[in-house]
Amino acid sequence: MTSTADKLRFEPTALPAALDTLRAEVRAFLKDALVGVPEVKRSHSWEAYDAEFSAKLGAKGWLGMTLPKQYGGHGRTALERYVVVEECLVAGAPTAFHWVADRQSGPLVVRYGTEEQKKEIVPAITAGKACFAIGMSEPNSGSDLASLRTRAERTATGWKVNGTKIWTSNAHRANYMIALFRTDPDPTKKHAGLSQFLIDLSKTKGITPRPIQNLAGGRNFNEVAFVDAELPPDALLGTEGQGWRQVTEELAFERSGPERYLSCFYLLRKLIDAVKETAAPATLARLGSQVAWAATLRTMSLSIAAKLNAGQDPALEASVVKDLGCQFEQALPGLAQELCELEPTLEGHGSDYQQVLGALVQVAPSFSLRGGTPEILRGIIAKGMGVR
Amino acid sequence: MNETQQMLEDTVNRLFGDRLGWDQLTAIEEQGFPTALWAETVEQGIPKVLADEQTGGMGLGWADAYPVLRACGRHAVPLPVVEASIAEWLARQAGATLPDGVPGLLTRTIATDTVSASALKLDNARTPWGRTADFLVGVAGQGDGAELIIASSKGLSVATEENIGRDPRDNLSGNAALIARHALPLAPDCVHWLGALARSAQIAGAGAAALDLALKYGAERSQFGKPLSGFQAIQHYLADLAGVVASVDAIAMAACTGLDQRGMAPLGRNARFEIAAAKCRASEAVEKLTRLSHQVHGAIGFTYEYGLHFLTRRLWAWRAEFGGAGEWGEYLGRIAADVGGDGIWPVITA
Repeated sequence: MTSTADKLRFEPTALPAALDTLRAEVRAFLKDALVGVPEVKRSHSWEAYDAEFSAKLGAKGWLGMTLPKQYGGHGRTALERYVVVEECLVAGAPTAFHWVADRQSGPLVVRYGTEEQKKEIVPAITAGKACFAIGMSEPNSGSDLASLRTRAERTATGWKVNGTKIWTSNAHRANYMIALFRTDPDPTKKHAGLSQFLIDLSKTKGITPRPIQNLAGGRNFNEVAFVDAELPPDALLGTEGQGWRQVTEELAFERSGPERYLSCFYLLRKLIDAVKETAAPATLARLGSQVAWAATLRTMSLSIAAKLNAGQDPALEASVVKDLGCQFEQALPGLAQELCELEPTLEGHGSDYQQVLGALVQVAPSFSLRGGTPEILRGIIAKGMGVR
Repeated sequence: MNETQQMLEDTVNRLFGDRLGWDQLTAIEEQGFPTALWAETVEQGIPKVLADEQTGGMGLGWADAYPVLRACGRHAVPLPVVEASIAEWLARQAGATLPDGVPGLLTRTIATDTVSASALKLDNARTPWGRTADFLVGVAGQGDGAELIIASSKGLSVATEENIGRDPRDNLSGNAALIARHALPLAPDCVHWLGALARSAQIAGAGAAALDLALKYGAERSQFGKPLSGFQAIQHYLADLAGVVASVDAIAMAACTGLDQRGMAPLGRNARFEIAAAKCRASEAVEKLTRLSHQVHGAIGFTYEYGLHFLTRRLWAWRAEFGGAGEWGEYLGRIAADVGGDGIWPVITA
């Protein structure tokens, strides 16, 4: 008897006991390092940009942890990195400066970069001194990423790029961008015409980021215009025409982490404190239900981390956790409003709780847009279950 | 899965897969307890996977026994396998040996003052398969002290009841002669917790089976010239269903592992947190599991003839049994309120 349901199992994972020590160290460090950071900034967590904090984390040896020692990484396990990442998220540490670099750009450069690139970039990531942007979406290519049109043409001296990227977080202040461009305009090569490029933003002319204000007033992401931007030959990352496969690998890093269910955990902590003295049983039950969800998602997320650590490819599992995690984190602001009956407020007005609520209720719509929408994720899951 | 788990899963899936098709399940609902199937189940050692090896059991922990509990959900097993497993594990903790036969597990904590030197006084004591039970097992106590009570099922009055899954949930009254009593190093409410854990595993199993039926039906049934699962709306139902099934399975497995590793002692960080999380999530998930699996099936799934209901009726029953999302959510909410916002993450990661 065969069961398709059994294709999707999340075996419990026990973290090695040695990681308890690391976790305690990270907690102690964060407790000190975050003194005085405003609550509302902490609630933004991996969207809060703070180069100084990232450098401190780097100095502790907690960035680029899984990157090889020979290039200046720490050669530690994916599970060790997982502990650091989840503790930072839960503490509301401002991790945006190094987030992309540590999560996906570092591993990508190690896998596909030249020796020179690895020697230059890995130590910078590890020190918390390199901020990376991701050049994927374009104005006319969102979920249908492979329809992108920004063109990289081979020239006598390297590559010339023309086109526009959009929703590029931190492009206005990042040091590097890893972008996906069309290197072959043949319309029959929708996927096979794509290649990845590593761009040193400080050394490249013809790239103009224009910040896009989000609905909450934040200015994290950008539209980035490439006008005859000239790149050296070694800017090509990996193999020409293999960009789609490489980007799929990159997205596996991007979708599988604990940030996909912990974006509002700081609010859950505040909610618990707000209701703990006075909560009626029915309120406690709803609070407890969120705790049950958090425990469940953590079990599943950790199971993915263990699969990654063992060299497996948990792309299907990651899609499931991102889809479920997003439902969990998007529901929290509404619940936090309802259980306390407080108005969300703008930054600088109202109590800390109201400001945190105001910040997260406004950014919550982005949770199901960034890194793959539920429509895309459910398509991947359905395919994994043999439906498509 | 380790080898033990794989072997057990294959064994139970083979046995119940062969013996519990829709025709057989229908016959059992009409004719009552399937004595021959129970005998076969006992012969294969299935109700005794959690029993001590000295008493003929397999001596497994909950994580290794999980495939059996889950299979009882997957195949809508109309036998007290889960209840027997709990009884056997309790006996093992107490160093007791249970009599042969069908056990009747008393699901509520027995008040100490209803146990005399010779008898246990029952007043509408809820007992799954009470009408068939050859003996009774329950836990008595108050405060920290608990006793395992083994009593006779003879001469009791049986008010027969069924849950909406049509499994017997009888109420027993009268004086049950004591067979044995043993000190039990667990809390007096332990049956409620173990029942919640087992029902979580059964919900995971029945959810997986409902998903499999929905996947199969979606591929076979055509409308507008293509299979149902060719429609994006249906694909998204199936994907959503798959995620929820996997989430219940994940936390139920984690709770079993937690129980093996940390036990249920009333103080400190024990497995009660994971068990409560498992039953809270499992009970909450039943709404989506049943709604989406029925929706994919359309009207045929609403008929008695098509057997999705063997699963979904049990899911609705199990959602409430041994406490629903309200009760277990409140338990977890109290933990959160006690430890505060700064303390909840250390509890989750402990």
